Amino acid sequence: MIDYAARFAVQDFLVAEAELLDQQRFDEWIELFTDDVSYYVPIRVSRKMPAPDVVDEIGYFDDTRQSLGLRVARLGTDVAWAEDPPSFTRRFVTNFRIGPAEDGEVKVRDYLLLYRSRGDRGTYDLISGERQHVLRVDGDGFRIASRRVILDQASLGTKNLGVFL
Amino acid sequence: MLNDDGLAERIRQTVIPEDGRIPMFIYTDPGVYETELSRVFGKSWLFVAHVSELADPGSFVVRTMGEQSVIVGRGEDGIIRTFLNSCRHRGMKIACEDFGQTKLWRCPYHGFAYASTGEFMGTLVGAPYERVAYPGGLDRDALHLIEARCESYQGMIFATWDLDGQSLEDALGDLRWYLDIIMGRAEMEVVGVPQKWVIPCAWKFPAENFTTDAYHTATAHAFLSKLNLVKGVDFGRDGYHVDTNNGHGLGVGVHPADEDSWFPAECQEEYAANLDPDQLALLGRIKNFHGNVFPNLSFLIPNFIEVAGQRVTGMMLRLWQPIGPDKIEVYSWHLVEKNSPDWWKRKGRAMYVQTFGASGMFDQDDTENWEMQTLNSNSALRRADEVWMHFEMGIHHEPLRDEFPGPGAVFDGKYNESAGRTFYRHWRELMLEPG
Repeated sequence: MIDYAARFAVQDFLVAEAELLDQQRFDEWIELFTDDVSYYVPIRVSRKMPAPDVVDEIGYFDDTRQSLGLRVARLGTDVAWAEDPPSFTRRFVTNFRIGPAEDGEVKVRDYLLLYRSRGDRGTYDLISGERQHVLRVDGDGFRIASRRVILDQASLGTKNLGVFL
Repeated sequence: MLNDDGLAERIRQTVIPEDGRIPMFIYTDPGVYETELSRVFGKSWLFVAHVSELADPGSFVVRTMGEQSVIVGRGEDGIIRTFLNSCRHRGMKIACEDFGQTKLWRCPYHGFAYASTGEFMGTLVGAPYERVAYPGGLDRDALHLIEARCESYQGMIFATWDLDGQSLEDALGDLRWYLDIIMGRAEMEVVGVPQKWVIPCAWKFPAENFTTDAYHTATAHAFLSKLNLVKGVDFGRDGYHVDTNNGHGLGVGVHPADEDSWFPAECQEEYAANLDPDQLALLGRIKNFHGNVFPNLSFLIPNFIEVAGQRVTGMMLRLWQPIGPDKIEVYSWHLVEKNSPDWWKRKGRAMYVQTFGASGMFDQDDTENWEMQTLNSNSALRRADEVWMHFEMGIHHEPLRDEFPGPGAVFDGKYNESAGRTFYRHWRELMLEPG
């Protein structure tokens, strides 16, 4: 039997997280992570088959709770020029694949399509990727213990990753 | 678009770095850009790879010179060469991936095949068909891949289409003493692969920033002091500004002389074996180090930052690859001493990614500036008058004489645009050269 309650709990959590980011509520967002979180975005490369097309030795993000906190603190200053005025973002979080809960943790994969517009020239960027999460059960909800995002470009088509994935 | 004579005259009359004046049109003017592709990128030594990316025979990376795709490969004979990534038959790309390893590049269109040394090896459909198709035989020498001149310095591989010009070492000139310190201090290796991303900005904005601009840090990267990561604005001022020949330039930020080296103790022996005492002494005072190899290779040792109780930094190479007058693809490599301790590698890598690269807190600020400058440069093209950029910082400062051991014109304090003025003098010289 599919555990619909568990599925909805996970989906609602990740959808609510996206809303916090789209509303620039970073101080609330950072509280969703465990103290030992690994937030990692490896580099996608264009290779001939069957060579792997993800390089993990270095990434676009390689962050801990502490460094994510620093990024959030920076956004809270009046000198975070690259995101002030902020981008308009809309995160579409879909295609959930939710594993069983084991030892208080749930493995989840989803797709992220991040729409980003900044400035007034009618242009926008789309950032697409698969996210791989480990959610740790915490009381009635979850905290994010691990996030790995596989982006779908070997050369990113957005001028910076000043937005969280 | 201006015709060539008009463009040359306008450059001659308006690009006046001697007075600290640069006109804004030169950043994004399409005619300037077309001329740059042949006279700057077609003539200069261009960075294409680091030697650690080509460890094994047959390994190769696909890179760009100007706007031309090239293959940089280590042949089966161990020699590193750079080839135009273009089949001699009909001009199809023969390597369509980012990197790989092969004994033979096979053109996916008609099967023309090339050895890792660039030699034409026949077509894949096989000799019987080849004899039918070309009863007179194929001229194998004429089908050799088009090869650039390729030389390296301290592990940095450069290539040029100027087959008879000066050597790489001569082109680097006085800059070599400084490249020794950052890239020759130890055996360096690229960690993983370069980050790549596209910024809608003209290539000279970031190149001049790394060449000459220490002044922006206190404002553009003000979060550093706001978050108490550095004290005051000293991180941008204390040190030296260096104007070498041939358009290169750099800045060295130093910490007080009575402090021990901020680099790991475990590496000091290797540093000492590779550097002369003056170079070693300067390395021991570095707290940051930025610069640019003309035209578009920047290097950076970011300001040391404390990560979980240990002070670390990185070693970044940064290519500003133009893809049009107002757009670049950035290649950003992180390197580390191969024989350094694990904590230095691990924390240095994390610090690099958090502060530089596509998500880096510094790079975000910079990309914002360069994009907006580029938009303004495009709008300056629609004006009848010239819009001037201001490059006068330090114009009356005298360089140090005997107080500093390194070559070039060296100025006390990083706030100076002497190297920026030299960048544009060299640029103007190339742009106005006959032919």
